[in-house]
Amino acid sequence: MASRRRMLLKVIILGDSGVGKTSLMNQYVNRKFSNQYKATIGADFLTKEVQFEDRLFTLQIWDTAGQERFQSLGVAFYRGADCCVLVHDVNVMKSFENLNNWREEFLIQASPSDPENFPFVVLGNKIDIDGGNSRVVSEKKAKAWCASKGNIPYFETSAKDGFNVEAAFQCIAKNALKNEPEEEIYLPETIDVGGGGRNQRSSGCEC
Amino acid sequence: MADYPSIDPSSFDLIVIGTGLPESILASASATAGKTVLHLDPNSFYGNHFSSLPLDHFSSFLQSHSHCHSQQPNISPPTSSSNCLHLKHNNLFSHVHISNPHSEYLGPSNKFSLDLSGPKLLFCADPMVNIMLKSGATYHIEFKGVDATYVYRGDGDDKLMTVPDSRSAIFKSSVLTLKEKRQLMSFFKTVQEHILELEAALTSNEEMRRARTISDEELECPFIDFLTTKGLPSNIKSIILYAIAMADYDQETPLLRKDFVIKTKDGIKSLALHNMSLGRFVNASGALIYPIYGQGELSQAFCRCAAVKGALYVLRMPVTALLIDKESNCYKGVRLASGQELFSHHLVMSPSFTVPLSSTISSIRDVQGDSSESSSRSDVEGLVARAVCITRVSIKPDLSNLLIIFPPRSLYPEQMTSVRALQLGSGLAVCPPGLFVLYISTMCDAVAQGKELLHAAMNALAHLLSRKHESSTTMESDCVEEDGPNFLWSAIYVQELRKGSSEIIVSCPTPDGRLDYRDMLDSTIKLFHEMYAEVEFFPETEDAENAENDE
Repeated sequence: MASRRRMLLKVIILGDSGVGKTSLMNQYVNRKFSNQYKATIGADFLTKEVQFEDRLFTLQIWDTAGQERFQSLGVAFYRGADCCVLVHDVNVMKSFENLNNWREEFLIQASPSDPENFPFVVLGNKIDIDGGNSRVVSEKKAKAWCASKGNIPYFETSAKDGFNVEAAFQCIAKNALKNEPEEEIYLPETIDVGGGGRNQRSSGCEC
Repeated sequence: MADYPSIDPSSFDLIVIGTGLPESILASASATAGKTVLHLDPNSFYGNHFSSLPLDHFSSFLQSHSHCHSQQPNISPPTSSSNCLHLKHNNLFSHVHISNPHSEYLGPSNKFSLDLSGPKLLFCADPMVNIMLKSGATYHIEFKGVDATYVYRGDGDDKLMTVPDSRSAIFKSSVLTLKEKRQLMSFFKTVQEHILELEAALTSNEEMRRARTISDEELECPFIDFLTTKGLPSNIKSIILYAIAMADYDQETPLLRKDFVIKTKDGIKSLALHNMSLGRFVNASGALIYPIYGQGELSQAFCRCAAVKGALYVLRMPVTALLIDKESNCYKGVRLASGQELFSHHLVMSPSFTVPLSSTISSIRDVQGDSSESSSRSDVEGLVARAVCITRVSIKPDLSNLLIIFPPRSLYPEQMTSVRALQLGSGLAVCPPGLFVLYISTMCDAVAQGKELLHAAMNALAHLLSRKHESSTTMESDCVEEDGPNFLWSAIYVQELRKGSSEIIVSCPTPDGRLDYRDMLDSTIKLFHEMYAEVEFFPETEDAENAENDE
């Protein structure tokens, strides 16, 4: 049956350029952080095995590959996502205000079968900067927005220190798993053109 | 007026306008080769004429890109150091006719993903599949197989004949006589031997050349003559020519244009491709596959690969003019709708745009050397007529994805071209459950001829569908109207064909009338090498080798 499909969970990370999407992924998957910002090059998606109730799943975390910069992500990127992570920089108000646009863009493009209950997770990143003194988006404000959108789970993170990153992705994996798979598209199985590569591939930073 | 963002940096190795498949492959190959690439599209979606769209967008795209609709270019003043050439919108479609008799059964528009240039399929062993493996594009696309291929026979009782395209299919075929089975088996064996010889050709010498199963002379002869010398009866010749080698034009008429004649070597190449495609991938039962969500996935996958390699993507960004250096008369850059000017060494442009040629730019001329007039009509090299129909019944009750070939003369005696119809079901995520999408296309010389062929094929399909209908719902006679419930929705249109060309700017080819992407890929690779003569097109990487080894 669709076992292969269910073992693989697609997670996409959205948010304005520079909020730390790639850093969060790298911190979670490779436990690495680089202070050098470069608009994402070379990362396609990262994969990580996660265990949940005695079962192993592959979390496939997709990066925007810089296509978010001019809101130019294609519909193929959004489709088939099991969980959508919305990231803002707590030090940049605009990045928080844009969460609403990213959420709506996702719902239009991915058109999930049950948009009301589609799992989102919101991350307020870069809480480490300037000891929190340059912060402009309060936890209260972020939580209020999350509550208004159907109680989206909210985490404050620092990709740099690794603070709360593991916990956030645990929640992401759990919610991705709860998401009902999209109908019968994957039945019967699709043709494995890449010779199994789709599951195993873990590209990106080798540095 | 839209609020356009400003783009930085302002200088690139390559600027690509339009995200059609050839443009996207070029962007991806160039970014992979380490070039800095800016990829722009005035649309809010990827793929241009190669995209797959929701039902309502599909209709509006057809209408807004057809001849009757003209777009006024924005006039912007020339700057001091450069001359401006305003880009003209080039509408590839004409004679669009959309009929919507039973829209109540269709459901939401966004449950459809309709190809603008269908029907198109990939052979499993296609060079296109190999390029997708090399580039990593296959990580973004999933495929399913086409369940069966049929040849339409106007006269027979059972109008659809399964194509006996493999050893086991020949063996199981109920329509072939024992003698025909033997002939076909022995023909496939000859071809197989020839292919093996080609593979061993590296070690060949003059003696071996002469001992070949198929001589060099034979290879240069028309494929039809070769089939005749092998003693194949006409029904089998027809299957090989039109349903396996996928010939577009009647090979049996003496009036055939010389460049449409399939030579034996090319015919055998197609048979070899077909043969290699069978069984290449586990659970692809036949030779042909189709991407889930439609062929628009292909350009998106290549764009994504380009982005991963650093290409910058900006949708919803029209380009209004090309900047031409006043002194050298060379291409220098582009001006965006925002007024911003960006510069690059090379420019790749989708066939939706043409540059009005003027004497200001000496280096850009069309083939005829006509430098004073716009290039708009002169380089149109043919027409393809296309139709998309939505039905509630499958042509074959147990199958949903199938290809039907109407060989020349099968619909009516004057039919000079093959008509191909591809039915796809909801398993490919191109329509809601319970519905089917039919893509039909044929080459043609004139609009009337193309439309006549489409209508004849649609009538034949409607007849097949209504027979299915009658047999399954004999009780409810009200279900069978004149040509009523057969097509819930249909669109018929004619598309211009243009080849790619490269002078100072590279102009990409339009979608072609072939079933597969081989010709398109060939011309795209050629355009790439015209830009970057010394650079390898998607060099072999470790990743790709691993994937190959896994097979």
